[in-house]
Formats: sequence, structure tokens, C-alpha cells
Amino acid sequence: MIKLDSLILGDNQFFGINHMSQEKAQQLAERFNDISTVFAAYKSAYDLGIRAFMLNSNEKAGEICDYFRTHRSEFPELVLYPSIPYPHKYANLVAEQGILGAIQAVLSGQSAIDLLGFAGRGLSLLTGDITRIITMLIDVEMKIYRRLDFKAIYLQNIITDLLLGLEFRDVFIEYCQYVEKKFHAAPGFLTMNVPRLAAYLESCGIQNAVLCGAVNKRGYLMSPDIASYEAYFRGAQKFPMTAMSIFASGAIPAREAVEYIGQQNIRSIVFGASSRQHMQATLELVKEFA
Amino acid sequence: MSSQVVCASQADRIDTVKTLKAGIVGAGRMGITHLALLGSQPNVNVVAIADDSQLMNRALTRYRPDIRLFTDFTKMLKEAELDLVLIATPPHLHAPMIDASLDAKLSVFVEKPFTLSAEESRRLTARSREVPGTYQVGYVNRFNDVFMTVKQLIDEGILGRLFTFRSDMFGRTVTRPSSSSGWRGKRETGGGCLYEFGSHAIDLMVYLLGRPALVKGTSLTSVFSTDAEDMVCTNVVYSNGLTGSLTVNWSDESFRKPTNKVEILGEHGKILADQHQLKIYLNRAAPPYVKGWNTEYITDCFTPVPFYVRGNEFTRQICHFVERVLDPAKPNLSGFSDATVTQEVIDMVFADASVEK
Repeated sequence: MIKLDSLILGDNQFFGINHMSQEKAQQLAERFNDISTVFAAYKSAYDLGIRAFMLNSNEKAGEICDYFRTHRSEFPELVLYPSIPYPHKYANLVAEQGILGAIQAVLSGQSAIDLLGFAGRGLSLLTGDITRIITMLIDVEMKIYRRLDFKAIYLQNIITDLLLGLEFRDVFIEYCQYVEKKFHAAPGFLTMNVPRLAAYLESCGIQNAVLCGAVNKRGYLMSPDIASYEAYFRGAQKFPMTAMSIFASGAIPAREAVEYIGQQNIRSIVFGASSRQHMQATLELVKEFA
Repeated sequence: MSSQVVCASQADRIDTVKTLKAGIVGAGRMGITHLALLGSQPNVNVVAIADDSQLMNRALTRYRPDIRLFTDFTKMLKEAELDLVLIATPPHLHAPMIDASLDAKLSVFVEKPFTLSAEESRRLTARSREVPGTYQVGYVNRFNDVFMTVKQLIDEGILGRLFTFRSDMFGRTVTRPSSSSGWRGKRETGGGCLYEFGSHAIDLMVYLLGRPALVKGTSLTSVFSTDAEDMVCTNVVYSNGLTGSLTVNWSDESFRKPTNKVEILGEHGKILADQHQLKIYLNRAAPPYVKGWNTEYITDCFTPVPFYVRGNEFTRQICHFVERVLDPAKPNLSGFSDATVTQEVIDMVFADASVEK
């Protein structure tokens, strides 16, 4: 079983994402519009001792990964936690071209060599194996992270939770097998339904998964409710867990937020911070309550 | 306010009630979302799906062999012995499918926009009154925690007499010419910015403020789409003198995801709201709100849902539909008659735009 980093810097703040306020999201988008400010924030985090970053495969992530590769000497112990895919890219493509068209667009937007491989794998979109399509999509999303170290690969919550609702049992099983075999990483799931997902993964016989879900004392983004989460954390957790949205997008004071995570027996946090001061403050709180 | 819809969890399964058999037509983005949401309802079994996409049918055959697949909607209605049907096809197909569902005496949830004309909407609403069942349209903002709070505040009269408003929606769905291929790019199939985005902005206005009297000064602008508009600007007048504007744009790249915004000004202050945040400025205190600025975030006013996929509102509207199928005595928060008013305003916008030309 993998040991998750106790403090992982998330990336929502760099990409104008805030689940509480579109106004705050807008301010962040403006602040980090220049990618060099994002690099500077990563540098600050690393200098403070934060060694793990969660990075979603959105349109700016490629550039960020390039930066980590070319500045490897400045981030020698860096571990990434990729989360895939960037859901809005797919949402827009599906709106444009339908589900089939979207998959074709993603798979064919690749380099010549991959395109040959894609063609070589036949007309798998129309006639071939659905599993193959899914693994090809994972490969495409994971490309930007090449030659970087990562411990776990997380499926974005909108995809995880959709698949959970669809009860596509074999997709969960195949995803977990594929990630371990191909990338030698733990298969991860972001979710807004931790207790339900954990029970489902267990019923699928999955053992190697890691979870990441919102945990905060407001119960925000915690379905079905906070009591079910607390009961789940009191029990024998089968899957290592990282807490996200611990501040409920800023609604909960930092100290209270971190203390609550400690009380839930969770040892890994992914958090968003846009300034060195905020990163340092969170780091100190985590040390205090660890 | 959101407590108007009490979502049942698996633990709340009503065992005395038979399990409802559901069918879905259209396994695109919304159909799949609804399959996940309906499937997680304690008293619903999705037993049939009708869709003509080879890829989706193959995926469903592979992963959900328990669901019966049809390529013909009428055949599904005939053979699947359904209690309810969820329609998530391109909008021009809605009306004939609703008619067929009413013939089969099924409850219906249909995605927005309801139909492509107010006349059709009125006819279907009248027909639905003759058939016992639940009839809902997917105007999801009516189930958003913030907008439900705004509705309550407006109904309570916190702003006093209302003067002006805006209802806007922005997103980056169509940002290049190829974006508008398929049904979403054509008005006759229910595509275009007014049907796709504008219907949400108009419905939110109708939900909060009621039916307007007049639409004027409309402009429909096409930038990328050849058979539909990408931007809509218009003005709306109410019979009580309230006036406002609608600005809708699905080609605004500065928005990461589709966003609705409303602003309402009245004699006692102003409300500004989007899906996540509510700001109220008051010129007198109205407890718990103080004089001056008050800010509430979604984290202050949300109520959790039993299963989350795309936002609480998506789950909540399906919970509401199922609750009403089980107990039709409950008030309908997004019924055919509500959606008909929205459709009438959509028609008014198109009519005004053609006059302007």
C-alpha cells in the first residue's frame, strides 16, 4: 500500500477554480494569468518543504510539466499526483461533436507516430474493444507527465462519480489494473461520494485504490452527508485517503479546518494556496495536528 | 429553502412503494448524467435506454447488460413496461416523444428547452393535465441552492418594489466555426445560443420574476455558427413597470464553464447572484441581513444531496421528479406549465429579432 504525502499542493487556485465563488475564481484567474507566477508559487512551495503537487491535465498543465522537466535540479524530490482528465475540455468537445466525435478528436489530435498506432489499432471506436478506447484515453491524458515521478493517478471526480452512478463496474476494475501495470502507480479516484465509492470499490474486489474527497466540518461537497463520512473514517478504511476542500473554499478558518482533518484520522491533505505565507501557515498547522 | 426538495437516500427507500421502471431516450451527455442520477434513486430501476449511437450502445451492452437497449423509442415504450420516461434528445424531437409518452400514460422528465414553440408547449401542457402523472422540464437552476434562496427572498419582498434586473448567461461552448456542427448548431433542431443557454437565463428570470409583458430591442449575433446565433441581447418589460435585460453568450472564452448571473434592483436594495454566491445590498436591515452589504456563499446555504455527480442541483431536480412520481400531491417546482412561460418568452425574443431585421 502506498504512503500518501501528508501535504500536497493542489492546483485549482492557479487555474481560476474556486468552488465557493466565481468572483474569487476570476481574481485567481487574473492573478495567475502569467504562467511565471504559477512557477514562482511552485518554487515557493518546494522551498518550504512541500514535495508533492496534484496537477490536473488541463490546458496549462503541459507547460507546467515542461517547466518541472527543464528545472529538475530545482525540484529533485518532486512527486506529482496527476488528475485526469480536464472535464471541461471533454464537456465542450462532447457539446460540439457528440461523444464519439469528442473521443475521435482527442485520440486523433496526437503526433504522427501515435496516429499510426491509433490507425493500426483499427477502427476500435466503432467496432473494437471499449476497454481499449479507455486505456488509449488514459495514455493521451498521461502524456504530458512523461519522465516525471508520480505515485498515484487520480480520475477526476466528475468522471469517477458519473461511472459510480452508471455502475460501470468493469471500468473501475480495468482502470485500476491498467494504471498499476502501465504506470506503476496507484489508481486514484477523486470523488464527492467517498463512503459510497469505497463500498463500491470493495464490492468490485479492488484493493489498490487511493481516494481523494472533500472533508470539511461544513459537510460541503460531502455526499450523502457529513455523518456518513465521519462514520466511514471511524471504521477500518480499506483505501488510503487524501482530504481535499478542507477549507470549504475559504469558508472555514485554517486552524479549525486542519484540526478537523486530524480528528478524522486522515494523514494526507491536498490544499490550495496562492501565496507563500498561506502555504507556510498550512504547513505549520499540519505539523501541529499531525 | 432547498429543503423544499427532500432527497431520499438508499436508507430511505420506501419499501411499500413499488420500484419505478424508468426508460431514457438519448444517451448523450445529459442522458448519461441522468442515467447515473436516476440509477442512484432508491425507488427507481432504469430498465431501458433508446439511442441510435453505436458507440454508446456498445458501451452499455458491455457494462450494463441488465439494461435493455432500443434503437426505436416507440418500441421501447411498447415493450419495456415503463412507469416513467426521461427524454434527453435534441430538442426538436421532444414534442413527438412527449406525445407518445402521454399516449402510454407515463410520467415524463424532459430536458430543456421544453419544445421549439410556445404553441406546442401549451398543447402538451394541456394534454398532460388530462393524464395522471408527473411532468417536469430540466430547468436545473430552479434547484440550485443560491437561486432557490434568491427566489425565497424576492417572494418575501426583501427588496420591496422591483425596478430593474439583468439575467445573463455566459460560457465557452462555441469558440470556433467547427464547434457548431451537429444539432447544437442549428436552430431548427433546437440548437443555437438562445435555445441552449438563453433558455436557462430566461427561465431563471421567469422563475424569480414571473412572466414579462414585452421583449424589445433584440439582437441575435452569429460569430461562429452559420445556422444559429452565438450571442443574444434583449430587453424585457413587465406590466408592473419592472424592466431588465438579458445578455447571453456561449462564445465567451473568458468563462471556464457555463455561468448564470442575475442582478435585481428594488426600492430596498439589490441582489447579485450566480450559482455559487449571493450578495445582498440593503438600505435597511432585514434580519438576518444587515444594512449594507451581505455576502452568502454556496457553502453557507447548500443542503447536501444523497449522491453528487455534477452539482447538487442536478441530483435535486431528479429527486424532485421521482418524489412527485411517487406522490403527485407535492407542488411541481419545474412543471410543463412553468416551462411553457419560458417558451413563450423564447418565442417573443425570436419574434422581436425578426422584426428588428
